[in-house]
Amino acid sequence: MDKKMILENGLLEQYVLGELDLNKRAEIEKVLASDSELKAELYAIEKDFETLGLENAIAPPVQVKSNLMQFVASTSNSNTNDSSKKARYLLGVAASIATLLLIGSFWMYSQLNDVQQQLKTVESKNGELNNTIDQLNNNLNRNNALFATLSHPDTEQYILKGNALMPEGKLISYVNHTTKSVVINAEKLPELDADHDYQMWADVEGEMINMGVISKNEKLLAMNYIDQAESLNITIEAAGGNDHPTVSRLVTNVYLN
Amino acid sequence: MQNDTLLIRQLQNKDERALSMLYDKYSGAIYSVILKMVKDESKAQDLLQETFITVWDKSHQYNADKGRFYTWIYRIAKNKVLNVLRKTDILIQTEDLSVYKNKEDDTISLDPDFLELKGALSKLETHHKNAIELVYFKGLTHREAHEVMGVPLGTFKSYVRQALLLLRKSYSELISMVILILNVM
Repeated sequence: MDKKMILENGLLEQYVLGELDLNKRAEIEKVLASDSELKAELYAIEKDFETLGLENAIAPPVQVKSNLMQFVASTSNSNTNDSSKKARYLLGVAASIATLLLIGSFWMYSQLNDVQQQLKTVESKNGELNNTIDQLNNNLNRNNALFATLSHPDTEQYILKGNALMPEGKLISYVNHTTKSVVINAEKLPELDADHDYQMWADVEGEMINMGVISKNEKLLAMNYIDQAESLNITIEAAGGNDHPTVSRLVTNVYLN
Repeated sequence: MQNDTLLIRQLQNKDERALSMLYDKYSGAIYSVILKMVKDESKAQDLLQETFITVWDKSHQYNADKGRFYTWIYRIAKNKVLNVLRKTDILIQTEDLSVYKNKEDDTISLDPDFLELKGALSKLETHHKNAIELVYFKGLTHREAHEVMGVPLGTFKSYVRQALLLLRKSYSELISMVILILNVM
């Protein structure tokens, strides 16, 4: 098929009017693609028919257009909008849930950290409290023991007044031969420097036996009970105490009945 | 006449406003063709609507390289009408072409204005006018139409060709006249 044949057979007119079958159309389109003159003629024929059509136009009732636009709007709504709206809605819901879960996880994670921190604090405070309770128990036991001695009906009180080396000082001692215990009140002993301590001794048949170093931190304290002690003596010794009393530094003593 | 390129692209992107504007531009010409073929206003309106629904649905199939947009719509409309006519009157497909004449006689009550040809076409000689009317407004093929007119196919083809050239001449004269008037003014 060539240009001449197409023109002579009026194939372009039939092509425009849609009378030709698929094969013929394809053949003509092949020639048209490479022949601009033929294409211009086709365009002119199309334009002729179009002008002819427009010249003979008859306005259709308005109803046809409104039906058409309604139909198009409803189908495009139901096809694209509805499904995409629904999809968008579901996507939105999913995204919201995911966001909530994420925020929730972060919140719970931070809560967990907080709780762990609090637990550590509570544990350490609990330890401190236990220590305090232990201390208090120790103190209580000690005080109970001291009190038991002090309140015992067989307990005797001896006051050790300071000699010339310690004119202002004194010490009160409580001796119980039944329970074999000694408690002293060291409140009125003058303070010593860090290098020295007061030490208490019992005189048994001329021999001084150690009853213990008097603690600087406590006012009421128990000392070792020595059997058959004739007197109680206090000397100033080097810090930590001595094996034998430094007699030259005896600050007070009292004879027991 | 404004360029349709942009509107067509918008139509292909499912822009309802573009469909509305293209409908306003072409529905009258297409409705006229459909009416003259089916000769029934109610059917013609349904077919017009169906034609533009197809234009909307199949707009992606339109290729501007292969022809004008109006030609594309015209072919859609013509195919729809021919399908309906084939269903309702199977005789159309037979070789007995007298049916066309019979059909003309028992035309359903239709405003005769709708069938009247207007413009430059109405001023052509009868054989030119008839040739165009048969192939363009009645939807006959060249083969069917030449028998209706009772002339050889070759002769009929040249009638169509001559008629188109005469129309083209009168349209270009019309345009020249308009340009002349515009210049004078």
